[in-house]
Amino acid sequence: MLKNWTNIFIYHIRNNKIFTALNVLGLSIGIAGLIFAILYWNDEQSYDQWNPNKDNIFLVANQMDPTTYWASSSAPIGSAIKEVSPEIESFCYLSGSYDNDIIRFNTKKVQSDHIIVAQKNFFDYFPYEFIEGSQKAALPDVNSICLSEDLAFQIFGNEAALGKQIILQGKNLVVRGVYKLDKKSLCNPSCVVNFMDERIKNTIQQWGNFQFVLLLKLKNGNDQDQVVKRMQKIYFANMTAPRAKAQGMTAKEFIQKFGEVKAGLEPLSSIRLHTKTGGIIESNGNYQFLIIMVGLSILILTLSIVNYVNSATANAVKRAKEVGVRKIIGASKSAIIQQFIFETAIISLVSILISLVIVELTIPYYNAFLEKNLVLQSSQFYLQLVAIFFVTVLLAGIFPAIYIANFEPLKVLKGNFGRSKSGVWLRNGMLIFQFAVAAFFIVGSYIVYEQIDLMNSKDLGFNGKQILNISYRNIYGEKITNEDRFQRYNIIKNQLKHIRGIQEVSAGGFVFGQGAKSVISYHHKDINIDGNNMPIDFGLLEMLKIKLVDGRYLNPKFAQDTVSSMLINETALRLLNEKNPIGKKINWDGKEAIIVGIVKDFSVGNPGETIPPMTFFHFKSVPWFTSLLNNIYIKADPKTMQQTLADIENLWEKR
Amino acid sequence: MIQINKLSKIFRTEEVETNALSEISLTINEGDFISIMGPSGSGKSTLLNIIGLLDSASGGSYQLLGQEMIGLKEKLKSKARKENIGFIFQNFNLIDELSVYDNIELPLIYNNVSPSERKKKVQDIAKILGIAHRLKHYPQQLSGGQQQRVAVARALINDPKIILADEPTGNLDSKNGNEVMELLTDLHASGSTILMVTHSDYDASFSQKTILMKDGIILSEKTNNRNVDVLVSSKN
Repeated sequence: MLKNWTNIFIYHIRNNKIFTALNVLGLSIGIAGLIFAILYWNDEQSYDQWNPNKDNIFLVANQMDPTTYWASSSAPIGSAIKEVSPEIESFCYLSGSYDNDIIRFNTKKVQSDHIIVAQKNFFDYFPYEFIEGSQKAALPDVNSICLSEDLAFQIFGNEAALGKQIILQGKNLVVRGVYKLDKKSLCNPSCVVNFMDERIKNTIQQWGNFQFVLLLKLKNGNDQDQVVKRMQKIYFANMTAPRAKAQGMTAKEFIQKFGEVKAGLEPLSSIRLHTKTGGIIESNGNYQFLIIMVGLSILILTLSIVNYVNSATANAVKRAKEVGVRKIIGASKSAIIQQFIFETAIISLVSILISLVIVELTIPYYNAFLEKNLVLQSSQFYLQLVAIFFVTVLLAGIFPAIYIANFEPLKVLKGNFGRSKSGVWLRNGMLIFQFAVAAFFIVGSYIVYEQIDLMNSKDLGFNGKQILNISYRNIYGEKITNEDRFQRYNIIKNQLKHIRGIQEVSAGGFVFGQGAKSVISYHHKDINIDGNNMPIDFGLLEMLKIKLVDGRYLNPKFAQDTVSSMLINETALRLLNEKNPIGKKINWDGKEAIIVGIVKDFSVGNPGETIPPMTFFHFKSVPWFTSLLNNIYIKADPKTMQQTLADIENLWEKR
Repeated sequence: MIQINKLSKIFRTEEVETNALSEISLTINEGDFISIMGPSGSGKSTLLNIIGLLDSASGGSYQLLGQEMIGLKEKLKSKARKENIGFIFQNFNLIDELSVYDNIELPLIYNNVSPSERKKKVQDIAKILGIAHRLKHYPQQLSGGQQQRVAVARALINDPKIILADEPTGNLDSKNGNEVMELLTDLHASGSTILMVTHSDYDASFSQKTILMKDGIILSEKTNNRNVDVLVSSKN
């Protein structure tokens, strides 16, 4: 039977080479699309799934207002909630993002931008496999550090790292362990240090300072509701109640007016794709984008399957006589159906093989697009491939097979293909579907093109031409005072100004494209504004050609500009609802600030997002702002740019 | 073997109703060689198709080997057909995309005969019909007479209880036509039951009995004498 089917199948392929090739190619492209989407899906779904405690570890996600969730928590809540909740096994604070710093070993310097500051039980939460040392003895004290295999190799080469002393942020640290970083997680540190305890200690009184990521490990993941309830009570007692009292209101009135912080927990297993917060440490997976990718790939595959079905039924005329004869000779309907499904199965199999080749050849571009490192592997993937095969065979094969098997032998042998009306409707319907999907893709691509074009040509509100941006890390460790830090920046600024070609130097506490680093809410006449903090040095706004709509820029000539002068942007002004904002006094974080200028709105984050309300102060006005000083901006003469760049590098090397 | 009683077939279109067969009764016994004659539209092909289970009747009774066939499900009909009936057509109806061997083998495949037995049977029958050297060819590479031999081989391969032939010589020249008729006569002589539709008196004369049909009814039945030799020599 199979031989007979194969013979006739091969005969038809030989006589319809182009037609077969088109069909196979169409299916291959459709399947390749789905394979791409599946690889992406598997990758995204695999984050933290290896973690044995993925359902018992929870991120404390705080709801600040109806739509805003923060992944950061205050320092005191961890021990407070642990004390009252028997359900909690332990808690672990860690820094919300990677630190970027230099590790020194003897004379060797290695830069690492994936440093995590955590507490000593970090490896209890993220149990990476240790190749030197052990998980239990990983971070016993503040002088301990654990390195990833890669970083250990960078620093020590092939020598054992265990017990060696290295220097980070001016501290002598002993390497207590080396771990393998081979699993997908939202936390992939190149090294982990135990500096968190000190930071917690420093801010243990500050209930309103949401600075650190807090993870809780419950004995039983189902107890999360009780923990959330208890946490809510603690928040109320320590934040809402005292604040209401300070405002002279009842707690109820206060909540009605200003809202309250609501506690929430998100299991580790779902953070990557489903967190409501902005994410912790590694950027979030984009679930929406993932769903769109999968959806579109299914649409493309459907399109190629419909195309296959259509051409197969159209081509059925060529098979009519054969089917008629087979039926007369004794083939049952199901035998005919099996035969044609067999043919579809072979075509699908070949298509899948070709699609694998397509994927293998084009995956580098796909990886570059997604910024991932996907490979064609894993048993899970092959199971999915088998599923794709069966689904494709079923969807592409069953309709043409039934259509053909319903040929009445007498009629087809007389050359009479009286097609039923419903068959015509079905085929017309499929044709319409094909054109609709094709039109959808064309229109969709055009819209996306226009959208990107708009983004590219949109006026962002600032001018970055000729501006150099130097990332300025805190290389002095935790102990440096804010005054010292600003002083050191000023020294660098003066040295830079002496380099030929440099016209202006200034600094800011934010990164273009990433947004502000901190937010402080302030009240003005019962209006609550979540102002993004934009610490600046004199001249920065002017350098970036950010315009003013009212008032003036900050200027060293005015003594109050390093004390109380404040600028806000147009968005903040709209929220404030003040007709004459200049000179208005604002109570900002317990400090009296005076608005001296209104800045025209400009994008600092993703240009697609709405511009948030912004608060501008000089670094000196708010001493702790200096800790945000992370970018030095330089305006240089384009004519001497090469030399200027070399000179700046020289200066940096010497320091 | 075949009992037909008051069998009728009505073709309905939106305007007209045509009685292709009106209450025909007919008995075919094992070993019979019967030919049906009549002008176009007399209903002879319709009758053959109903007997071959390719078409359904509008009323009456048709028993094949004692089993009622009218109203039978498609699946059972197809089973009865592949087990009991062999077809020979005017235009051969071979599958052009399959070799002679594959064509002859087809009924055996659908009857679940084992591969080794299939091979033997195909080769045997090809030898008998003189097409053993053509097994690897495709139908279009053969002459009309050879193609009809292949069709006969295919009809016989499964040892059917009855052979239905629809103008088997219609597309053949007289020499090849004669060969095919002689083949059928030989089959009859070896005990096969044959029902043949034909236009040709000459072909009909090979059979035992000729049924004449017109306008859906049987006009006459006559038993042929076996004086065929005279006619053969006259090369009608």
